[in-house]
Amino acid sequence: MTLLAPLFFAGLLAIGLPLWLHRLSAENPNKQRFSSLMLLEAGEPRRVLAKTLQYLLLLALRIAVITLLVLAFVQPTLWRPPQAAASGSARMHIIVLDTSASMAAGDRWDRALDAADDIVDSLASEDRAELIAAGRVVEVVTAPTLDRAALRQSFATVEPGVFPLDFGQLMRALDGIVRGADLPVVLHLVTDAQATGLPTRFGELAPRGAVELAIHDVAGGEGNVAIETLAGSALDGSLTATVQSFDASARVKTARLEQNGALVEERTVELAPGARAQVSFGVLTLAAGPNRVRVSLAPGDDLPFDDTRILALRRPEPRPVLLVAGDLRLQDAFFVDAAMVSLAALALEPQTIAADALAETALEDYEFVVVADAGALDDAARAAVTDYVASGGALLLGLGPRSLSLAEVPVTGETLGGSGLGGDGDAYTSIGTLDASHPALRGLDALRAAKFFRYMPVTPDPADAVVMSLETGAPLLLERAFGDGRVLLFTSSLDREWNDLAVQPVYVPFIAALSNHLLGGAGFSSEAELGSTLALRALGLQGGQIFDPAGEPALGLGGTDDVLLDELGFYELVGGGRNEIVAVNFDVRESNLEPVDAATLERWQALGQPSAAAPTAASAAGTDETVPTPLGYWILFLVLAGLGVESWVGNWHLRIRRGMAA
Amino acid sequence: MPATSEAAPRHLLQPEVLAGLANLDLIARAVVEGFLTGMHRSPFFGFSQEFAEYRAYTEGDDPRFLDWNVYARTERTYIKRYVGETNTRLVILLDASASMGFGSRAVNKLQYAKYLAATLAYLAARQHDAVGLIVFDEQIREHRHPSSRPGQLHGVLHAIDRTTPGTGTDLKKPIERFREFEKGRGLVAVISDFYCDPEAFLKGVAPLAYQGQDVALFQLLDPQELKPELKESALLEDMESGEKMEVSPIFMRSRYREKIEAHIANLKKAAIGMGAEHMLVDITQPLDAALRSYLSFRQRRGGVLGR
Repeated sequence: MTLLAPLFFAGLLAIGLPLWLHRLSAENPNKQRFSSLMLLEAGEPRRVLAKTLQYLLLLALRIAVITLLVLAFVQPTLWRPPQAAASGSARMHIIVLDTSASMAAGDRWDRALDAADDIVDSLASEDRAELIAAGRVVEVVTAPTLDRAALRQSFATVEPGVFPLDFGQLMRALDGIVRGADLPVVLHLVTDAQATGLPTRFGELAPRGAVELAIHDVAGGEGNVAIETLAGSALDGSLTATVQSFDASARVKTARLEQNGALVEERTVELAPGARAQVSFGVLTLAAGPNRVRVSLAPGDDLPFDDTRILALRRPEPRPVLLVAGDLRLQDAFFVDAAMVSLAALALEPQTIAADALAETALEDYEFVVVADAGALDDAARAAVTDYVASGGALLLGLGPRSLSLAEVPVTGETLGGSGLGGDGDAYTSIGTLDASHPALRGLDALRAAKFFRYMPVTPDPADAVVMSLETGAPLLLERAFGDGRVLLFTSSLDREWNDLAVQPVYVPFIAALSNHLLGGAGFSSEAELGSTLALRALGLQGGQIFDPAGEPALGLGGTDDVLLDELGFYELVGGGRNEIVAVNFDVRESNLEPVDAATLERWQALGQPSAAAPTAASAAGTDETVPTPLGYWILFLVLAGLGVESWVGNWHLRIRRGMAA
Repeated sequence: MPATSEAAPRHLLQPEVLAGLANLDLIARAVVEGFLTGMHRSPFFGFSQEFAEYRAYTEGDDPRFLDWNVYARTERTYIKRYVGETNTRLVILLDASASMGFGSRAVNKLQYAKYLAATLAYLAARQHDAVGLIVFDEQIREHRHPSSRPGQLHGVLHAIDRTTPGTGTDLKKPIERFREFEKGRGLVAVISDFYCDPEAFLKGVAPLAYQGQDVALFQLLDPQELKPELKESALLEDMESGEKMEVSPIFMRSRYREKIEAHIANLKKAAIGMGAEHMLVDITQPLDAALRSYLSFRQRRGGVLGR
């Protein structure tokens, strides 16, 4: 027996009340015989405490009623061994509620809850059940239990999210849960069985082990129209949205374009059933800084998440960059220049000069400086560059053939130990370690394909951060904070002279990433996938803060944790003197509400194998849990019965007393 | 030793002492003898015929009582009167209601009343008076007609002895019975606690007075009825009706005493109003006070009655 609220036992103190009342007597115990009352006058009747209790039956009934009432509040539960479980027919029911975004369409979620209720209703008394919510992650909401009420209550704690659900990943995630069950498992999947959630390989839908699979399809005939893509150019202000209809009937929608909260344009879109349409808006006039662009469809439909799509656009500003070549006849800066020119989004304006002209150039006019071969710098140029960096400039320094004669790196002063490799001409090395979290190397694993035939072994200074090194262990890319500025040192050439990096596809993104980093993150990506994370280090924001679409602080950027983008809308990042926004859009895979066809669903369900009737040893051990039987209703019934009898007995006593008085 | 000879009978009159005597006859004898021994100097000595006075003859007087010697000397007719020259009748009306069973000491009111009734009967018999008895509560429980025959006293004492507390009190019935059967004049001694309405009582007893009876009322009360002492409020139960009443000690100490005194005074006033004698008897007191009152009353009445 379990008492769920033992504090209510304090209510038993109320028994003192009837005990006191039953000692109260209107009749004075000091009773004397007197010859005649003829000359007496009645005094004020005095209620006195009798030495003995009166009306013992009535008292017993009243104490019993109070005790039962207290017990009703205490909610005792009788736990008894489950007979059916002992006989081996108990099963574990895993109820998986699909909480993907498509479940919010129409009344799918209500149907899902009804289906879950029906499942609980159909459970045998000895069966245990647990609730799992399947959305972005698979979350165990309720541990295996025999308590049906707790299970039903847990339904209310789950609701559809904004994430898609991949059924293949779901079945893999459930594998561990199914294997941990100590009873034969029945897997109930309450879902809209969205076709886009199916994995590439059908076999991934098969549950592992002997699991009986029951799919409860709650999909209806809801239609949907979604904005599939929204593309815009910050350079020319063009903006195009792709609208996709998943409806069986033709639809007419109005696409509304808003910029920074103000309505800019409206376009009418006519959509045939299942058709796709492109909506091109007029040229946007972008304001300075980040612009919040939002396109939404009106009127809305059953699935509201994909009726809106957002985009963050920053008006590009030309950024002059100085490329210093050893000799203008040489092409050591050619590849860098070509790459930068191709990076229209960054709006870089590279200008190439010879090293000997450096001393006469006003470096502070440039966003950053790239020296293709450090060996080309004479003393005056070194001094000019050093002053530029120390005063807050950014420098990318390459080490090419002209650097072979150097004993130390210009500006930063690391020791150079001759050239690496290059002996037989065919020997090369590749990138060994790469700090993918560094903003200049993020997503650039393709760099490992590059072959490095020669490089300059550098002994790193303690102030250097080696962010990329070769397989030989020699540093390839170092970063040094110098004065108020910073220096990136690439220990090989930036052209094809010592490596083939310049002809690798990754070269342009690499230069773009380096440029972004040297610009201080100005080329920050303004769009992120729902459910992805913002790598705080990669943003290059120090001491800033990030705000979610509701404007609430999400996480301080001083920490090392990444920020999970789990809401739709604009995330705002403020820090380091910059203000950036990131647009997080709905996953269009969820927009197509089309369910899996009946045949496929049947095949999927057939993948489940009915579990063996006989329990295993583990399942027998699992029957140790006893079955709860709440006694509350029985106790309330007894309270009512007790009150009835108490009233009758009390009335009986009253009648006797009235009779005496008469 | 005069001191001891007076002290011993006096001691015998104490109710507690009398309660130790088993025989009511013995009690009556002891009381009366002791009483008479102690009053040898009293004006009540001797009940033989004794000249009292001459009174002028008036029309209607019996000519047989004319004193012819005086007539011879004075030629005037006089009637000669004596004290106690005739026997009288005593009828005792004994209240045996339940309230008479009350008593806060060793002797309750009924026991005391029985002693008093027996004593009066014995005293009357000793004077050769006819003695009768009516025992009553709500009903007439015993009725013995007055008689001076030998054995009458024994019968009366026996009837008194077997009296026990009964139910309620109804003074009207014994008086009606008395009027119905006792036509001659005499003494009527009513022994009761008189818990009744004085006015109603007056209406009941007045016909006796009109009939020429000399009525003596012995009102017997316990000290707890006269001056009750309650330490705390109590639930008092009427011994006759069984009715209960919560009374406070303050009431019993003040208001009740006033009411019982007023009740006694009213009763006395009513008795005087109809020519009866009222005697309040504290049942813790010796019987001689009551006997003395009775003899005084008899003397006064006897003087009037004698011819």
